[in-house]
Amino acid sequence: MYHVKQADIVIIGSGAAGTMSAIYAHRADPGLKVVVLDKSKMETSGGAGRGMDALNTVALPPYSQPEDVVELMTKVTEGILDQQVAYRFGEICPRMVADLEQIMEREKGDLFPVDENGNYRLMYLHPIDKPLLLPMDGEEMKRALAHAVRQTGAEVMDRTPAIKIVTSGGKVCGVLAVNIRTGHYYYIKTKAVCLTTGAAGRMGLASSGYLAGTYEFPGCSGDGYAMAYEAGAELVNMECFQANTLLKDHQGPSCGYVAAPRGAYTVNPWDERTWSHGYSSGDSKMGAWKRFTQGRGPIYLKMDHLDEQMIQIIEKIQWGNERTSRGLFHQSREQNYRNAHAVELAFAEEVGVCGGHSSSGVLSDTTGVSNVPGLYVAGDVDGGLPHSYLGGALAMGGLIGEEAAHYASGIPEPEQRTGLKAWLRKEAAEFEAPLGREGGLPTSLVEFKARARVQYYLKPPKNPVFLEKAAWWMERIRQEDLPRIQAVSLHDLFKVQEIKSILTVGEMMARSSLFREESRWGYQHWRVDMPAKKPEWEGVWVVIKKGEGGEMTLAKRQSPAHQWEYPTSMEYAYPDLEFDTGPMFQKGPEWKNPKDDPWMKAHLDAQGMATPRRFMAKEEN
Amino acid sequence: MSQVNGVEYGEKDFSWLKFDRERCVRCGVCVDMCPMDVIHFGSQGYPYMRYRDDCWYCDVCTFMCPRQAIVMEELPYLIR
Repeated sequence: MYHVKQADIVIIGSGAAGTMSAIYAHRADPGLKVVVLDKSKMETSGGAGRGMDALNTVALPPYSQPEDVVELMTKVTEGILDQQVAYRFGEICPRMVADLEQIMEREKGDLFPVDENGNYRLMYLHPIDKPLLLPMDGEEMKRALAHAVRQTGAEVMDRTPAIKIVTSGGKVCGVLAVNIRTGHYYYIKTKAVCLTTGAAGRMGLASSGYLAGTYEFPGCSGDGYAMAYEAGAELVNMECFQANTLLKDHQGPSCGYVAAPRGAYTVNPWDERTWSHGYSSGDSKMGAWKRFTQGRGPIYLKMDHLDEQMIQIIEKIQWGNERTSRGLFHQSREQNYRNAHAVELAFAEEVGVCGGHSSSGVLSDTTGVSNVPGLYVAGDVDGGLPHSYLGGALAMGGLIGEEAAHYASGIPEPEQRTGLKAWLRKEAAEFEAPLGREGGLPTSLVEFKARARVQYYLKPPKNPVFLEKAAWWMERIRQEDLPRIQAVSLHDLFKVQEIKSILTVGEMMARSSLFREESRWGYQHWRVDMPAKKPEWEGVWVVIKKGEGGEMTLAKRQSPAHQWEYPTSMEYAYPDLEFDTGPMFQKGPEWKNPKDDPWMKAHLDAQGMATPRRFMAKEEN
Repeated sequence: MSQVNGVEYGEKDFSWLKFDRERCVRCGVCVDMCPMDVIHFGSQGYPYMRYRDDCWYCDVCTFMCPRQAIVMEELPYLIR
């Protein structure tokens, strides 16, 4: 069944960024019609659905200033960013924090800690000399944000993911969505879209083999990346992978950001530290990689030197929100924070891409708009603001809500594509095709294969042969498996859509990594065939865009000139990968096989053919 | 009973969420709130893990249940 709706702004994804977009769009212009789409349920969806314990990167005077955010982001991106976007984010942090307190109806000092002068008390974590981490008692954040969105009068469509962003004349004009519980299609005519769909986090398959065992919320399968790409948006830094140190098998955060500011650090069984700071940057990832590759794993979160009160604080935070099942997980493995080498961590178990934890996504400017007029991005799908975490999602989510409202207020209804009804029928038929198949490939099997290939061929260190193979596999699965995939329910049907997104993002990761002919960001883009940073790539984005003929196009683009002069590198060097494994087996003079193999020759003579019998047509009786 | 990828997932099949039918009043909060669409109503209107292998073990269901009728007894087999 088709429903056609009219809106001024459609928000795709109601996580932290999307809910703030809806709230700020309403504030900017209460007369606008806002529709919020979510694959899940707004009250509990996204990475912060169960809660969150901190705003990992924010600037709050007097402890830190917007310039400090610029310094951090310049350093960890190694200079490849638009500093003005980082500064803009830093500027609006105080507003975002105050708004969050008001939305959650919390007193100052209750939601966030304050010092004796009433200033927000930030903590040190980042590889600069300023504190940028704000702890938070955020268990109820998503419920409060969702409540505020519903109060704006926005039409919230839960369980209704978008499957296409539609453009006309190069501008946003509509969104196609489907309800995964009813099977109803919705075409929503709109002037603007706020794309807040999160990371491409369901990419590389972790070694547990459990498909939903992901670090990012598993609904974040890169749909936003793929939809934006199909709509003509430019994506950047798709070669700067996210590869984390996580709780082995659980895939929950190692919680370096909770434990490290409170005195914990990571060590291997010989108590060698993996790196000098807890922040998840390319250099610290390189340190973790080295430990494992040297056979000096696993890595542990070291907390046994902390006093009991501090351990209880860490437990309360880590077990109290975000991924609360970690308490049960530790219990089942008899892992106690008070013991040495208790909490086992694994590294790079699932490679993916993310704007919030790394810097990959849709390129946006200081207003959050992409190169497609009317398409705004924020949160983990946003590549314009790197390393922004939850604070960036909330602040820039609000910003794009405002900006989209200003844009939508000032333009007439966009032209729709011609033959809309026929197009809708075609899209729906294509989307539903896997439901009608009998005896096809199960979705879980195809997803397993695609993600296993992503993990094997894309996990750094990268080389061009592996990268080519990754791209080849994405295309092969697209051509060979997708036409045979079978969905057995509406719930299952959307997985086909998610697999398509995984394949598109996987190909972007591979092609972008091939295109950037150097190494950069430590482990995140480490080409063993080109293990050095090159001057010609300084400040240069790899921009991916869909070409006129439907092909994936890549180009170099210089990021804007820096206004602030900060260091553009982290402290690491690429390791030399020449291993001396000692003398190998040497063949003696007698060690040779005859040129003619008498046994094989006898068989061939007896059969009278060079082809094994099983390949020949059966003889007629 | 539902079929997922050719596998029948019954209400009594192995699952790590336990729904206490003494406490559950079939209000549907868990069905409504599960972010991964795992929980659906089964026989007699009681919830169960219909799409078991999509569970993110996020604990939202036990947290949101107004009757404390759901217990996450363990984590998914492949990761626990």
